[in-house]
Amino acid sequence: MDFISKKSLESWLASVAETKKLYAPVYTDGVLLYQQPNEIEDIVWDFSRPVQSAKEIIFPQSEKMLTIEKNGQNIQIIENLNNDISVIFGVRSCDARGCLVLDKLLVEAEPVDHYYKTRRENTALVGLACEEMGDTCFCTSVGGGPDNSEGLDVMLHRHQDGYLVEIVSSAGEELFNGIEFDRQDIAFNERRFEPEFVLPSQDLLKSSFDSEIWRSESERCLSCRICAYVCPTCRCFDVRDEPGASNNGTEIVERIRGWDSCSGEAYRRIAGGHNPREAKADRLRNRIYCKLHYTQEQSGMMACTGCGRCIDSCPVNIDITEIIGLILEGEPG
Amino acid sequence: MITKKIQEYASSLLADQVVDCVIGYEVGPRRTTRPIFVDQQADTDRLVWNQNCSHNLTVYLRQKLNDTEGRIGIVVKPCDSKTINVLGAENRIDRDRLHIIGIECEGILEGNVKQNADSGELQRRCLACDLTEPLDMDYMIGGSIERKNLPDNSTSNKLSRWLEKATADDRLEYWLSEFDRCIRCYACRQACPLCDCPTCLFEREDSIWTGSSATTKDNRSFHLGRAFHLAGRCIGCGECQRACPMDINLGELNRVLAREMEEQFHHRAGYTVELSPITTILGEGR
Repeated sequence: MDFISKKSLESWLASVAETKKLYAPVYTDGVLLYQQPNEIEDIVWDFSRPVQSAKEIIFPQSEKMLTIEKNGQNIQIIENLNNDISVIFGVRSCDARGCLVLDKLLVEAEPVDHYYKTRRENTALVGLACEEMGDTCFCTSVGGGPDNSEGLDVMLHRHQDGYLVEIVSSAGEELFNGIEFDRQDIAFNERRFEPEFVLPSQDLLKSSFDSEIWRSESERCLSCRICAYVCPTCRCFDVRDEPGASNNGTEIVERIRGWDSCSGEAYRRIAGGHNPREAKADRLRNRIYCKLHYTQEQSGMMACTGCGRCIDSCPVNIDITEIIGLILEGEPG
Repeated sequence: MITKKIQEYASSLLADQVVDCVIGYEVGPRRTTRPIFVDQQADTDRLVWNQNCSHNLTVYLRQKLNDTEGRIGIVVKPCDSKTINVLGAENRIDRDRLHIIGIECEGILEGNVKQNADSGELQRRCLACDLTEPLDMDYMIGGSIERKNLPDNSTSNKLSRWLEKATADDRLEYWLSEFDRCIRCYACRQACPLCDCPTCLFEREDSIWTGSSATTKDNRSFHLGRAFHLAGRCIGCGECQRACPMDINLGELNRVLAREMEEQFHHRAGYTVELSPITTILGEGR
């Protein structure tokens, strides 16, 4: 692989930022997030992972889909498609895998999510390989790995005072086109990481549907939505029409889509006020099944990338790896 | 010591069928302290007490009282007992159905909630706390703690002092930049034992009061609106800030409101079973 020093990478990043929207891990008041850095020096290079995954750039917490302008009988509907050309720098392997899951469900399956697809096609992912696994990381157990480049356009592997550049896609090749590397053809030794644990089989998951685990593990759940909102593959949303500021007699309504989560109480509420998933146990089971079972059956991909964010962020320590362990304990003989 | 006593007492409560369930703390497999619900005598040995017992367990009371017919035992820190007073004054819980196991507390340690605290420093709210025993309880557990940290009103940090002196514009700028990080996960609301409206005003489907977007405008109405609804009621347990994945400084916002309530209305939430003076009471026919 070709070698590039950190200094050369920084000047490359500066040139990227001139023509494209550059997102990178940056601290704001002590919280690490993918943001547009004011200065290239603000970019954080050594980190475990940002609080939010790279998902929030491609599938933002809230986005305006349409603006509806009404002036008397005259109604205009304007689509707000975001056409920014972006590069996300410092993407972890688990987040890139998350994008692959989102692609399967939002682009490769009908109906295509036009908004996601546009952003995704216009966003290049430049990865930074993890040198070690974090305390709550388990990517190796769900088919990934800390230096796995799947789903990325370029992967950078730390080497001495710089990085080895693994070009993964043609978009990645384009990004580094014309860059003079500091050294060339350096041997890259792929590191071997062992899985942390074995996952329950799809059959065992199916037969655990009525397990007592769901009640006992969900009892302390606060029904907030942190787990879903920090998850690189959670993609549920709600669409609302909200009044915007009127302008000279023109009434404005905005169609907003925003994240939603099956752990919230109202998520499954239907007409007439009925709620088939009223119990916390049913909601926790749905979320865990969505990660380990439903998406796998629908698309052939596991919707958990082992990033461990839900474990780190849960205020009451609900832990997907602990639940996996309990499911395995319940395996018959 | 306290752990042992909690376990023994919880066991006797369940054996004598005084309560159906005891809400307390346990330490999970990752050594993280977290809430636990014990309804079998055999599980009482999972109960613990340590200086990471930060969660305000009263957040679970309403649901648990709905789900069961009998009484509920609950491990209560001095600060958390103030919540029970507010919930009682607001007729949100039936005090007679609670069996409060009061814990003498030397303060909870600062630290990233999610993991156990390792800083060795007491939380800011604990430094300013004037209670070592709960205000209301059915059974008290504790030795005689010699309080190392007397109530200290000088705990306001650099930021609080700056906010006190800052102009309205500067304060607004500070708070908007905090709220800007909000992702509307509603963890602050869900972790709050006093924020339990059946339908949250800020999440009504008709979006009359505030939009659902995580934009500066909508985040501002959510957080300021929520703060106003807690003024005179918030007892300062700090769970909102502890739960926030974006580390928004909600504790400071609540402290400012509590100070206003004390200065303007001479009211400190939860010290007695009394409604906040800024609560409007609708009488019959109104």
